[in-house]
Amino acid sequence: MTGHTYVSNDHRKRHRKNVIIMLAIFLLIVVLFFISMNTGFTRLTPLALIQTLFGMGTAKQELILFEFRLPRIIISILVGMALAVSGGILQGVSRNALADPGILGINAGAGLAVILFISFFSSAPTTQIFFLPVLAFIGAGLTAIIIYLLSYKRGEGISPIRLLLTGVAVAAGISAVMIVLTLRLSPENYQFVAVWLAGSIWGSNWKFVLALLPWIVILLPIAFWKARVLNTLNLGEISATGLGLEIERERLVLLAIAVGLAGASVSISGGIGFVGLIAPHLARQLVGSKYQYVIPTAALLGSLLLMTADTIGRWIIEPSEIPAGIVVAVIGAPYFLYLLAKSKA
Amino acid sequence: MPVLTVDDIEVGYANNTIIDGLSVTIPEKKITTILGPNGCGKSTLLKSVARVLKIERGAVLLDGQSMKKLPTKEIAKKMAILPQSAEAPSGLTIFDLVSYGRFPHQRGFGSLKKEDLQAIHWAIDVTGLSELKERPIEALSGGQRQRVWIAMALAQDTEILILDEPTTYLDMAHQLDILLLLKKLNEEEGKTIVMVLHDLNHASRFSHYMIAMKDGAIVTEGAPETVMTCGNLQQVFNIQATLAACPFSQNPICLSYQLTKETECLQQTAAHS
Repeated sequence: MTGHTYVSNDHRKRHRKNVIIMLAIFLLIVVLFFISMNTGFTRLTPLALIQTLFGMGTAKQELILFEFRLPRIIISILVGMALAVSGGILQGVSRNALADPGILGINAGAGLAVILFISFFSSAPTTQIFFLPVLAFIGAGLTAIIIYLLSYKRGEGISPIRLLLTGVAVAAGISAVMIVLTLRLSPENYQFVAVWLAGSIWGSNWKFVLALLPWIVILLPIAFWKARVLNTLNLGEISATGLGLEIERERLVLLAIAVGLAGASVSISGGIGFVGLIAPHLARQLVGSKYQYVIPTAALLGSLLLMTADTIGRWIIEPSEIPAGIVVAVIGAPYFLYLLAKSKA
Repeated sequence: MPVLTVDDIEVGYANNTIIDGLSVTIPEKKITTILGPNGCGKSTLLKSVARVLKIERGAVLLDGQSMKKLPTKEIAKKMAILPQSAEAPSGLTIFDLVSYGRFPHQRGFGSLKKEDLQAIHWAIDVTGLSELKERPIEALSGGQRQRVWIAMALAQDTEILILDEPTTYLDMAHQLDILLLLKKLNEEEGKTIVMVLHDLNHASRFSHYMIAMKDGAIVTEGAPETVMTCGNLQQVFNIQATLAACPFSQNPICLSYQLTKETECLQQTAAHS
């Protein structure tokens, strides 16, 4: 077998283009990071911002920046990243561009856990603020496991389409139960639940950052490492088997990564939809369908999108705020309709 | 030693057994074609050999070892599969897709090493795609796309190629083009090729070994002249065929045919044989 060993110029150019795109998104994130830190009831001039960041601000400035704004911004960055990568993985595993963490019942399961807890055990949810994420995570995980088991068939394993349909059905069922439960809530609790379900970065606290960080630090590199597996899965079952991929095992591992990332996010930010759907979509439009590029690009776009949404949500009706999840949906829905109108089918 | 042996297998979908107790040996470094009417189980047999379908009973042996006991990645280094309707994700170039064929040889993140690049470029060259390698797959014609998939299977660097109806949906010239490519790969690279074909004449012209199936069982197998007889075609397809010799391969081909009635089968010899 003879053949040359170089990579063509076009191939290198495409690689460089993709790297530049990722750098550009990263720069946008940095810019937005500073804008976001300045957004809120108390304005901080760029100078005051830099002074405070380097420990030379007033006590009030430090409090606002380090205790309120910074953790919240970091959470929006981490959550956006996790949801986007989770969605990217699910779209790859199901070979369906419309899949997002919601289809694994993650949002519904987390929401149900929160509502159940508030309905039966607590009259003042704010006192349980640190317990809720744990509960939401358990709810999300359990629902994902139930959906997986329901769509598992002996001898055949998991078919992506069965997984999607089971997910839709289970999520619909859970939503119905949630509506019944919310009807019985007190107005005060109802408001809390409504905001939670809409997806709000309410946990602006360093403890939440610390709770979220391990999931991201561990699972994101694994997702990135699995890019080659996702590429191969995307060729269809027969080709993937032919290439020596252990489909069932890899699917399970990838689903677990997706559930871990989305579950951790949802438990802290509530039911933020659309990020997991749109970020990977947009990433593919920008860098093609090789997952070595799609995963990091989607992660960056997810951060950018959610940080933008949270900043807009905090700014638009100051001093009150709109949950980030709603802002994302307001931005995301038209983009999605545009995609549908543009697609050939 | 035979590379692939099917030993008394039973396969089916859900509760529907399609093949029960089939055994066959695929000759090494030859082109073998499986044929038979729709629903006869030929694709099922091919998928069982390719380990895509789970076998209920029996075994498929690769180099004398049961494939169930071999790691799937090790099998992938010896056997490549081209599915019937392969569809590439959008936004990939030919080079990208062919490079995916290196999967079983790679570890970890999958950066392309020297031998990977060598195999990819060789596969692209031998399938005549060098000029197009940076084009997106979407921009290619059906025949070119099929070549890309074959190139991906070649980049996998296996002794055995399994193809499910590689010429379906292609026009006459492109069908021949693909079969000539497979013939070249068999003759020059010593690849063992197993495929399902619908066109009897193509099967006869390009195969060393033919397997004719009906109702999940093998009716007859052997060299084209043993399999392509009026009696066999009548039994397998319920057709009454008029046979001649192919002017290119001298193997029997079917000039024309009718649905079976009680009439005698006509065997004709072409003028040039």
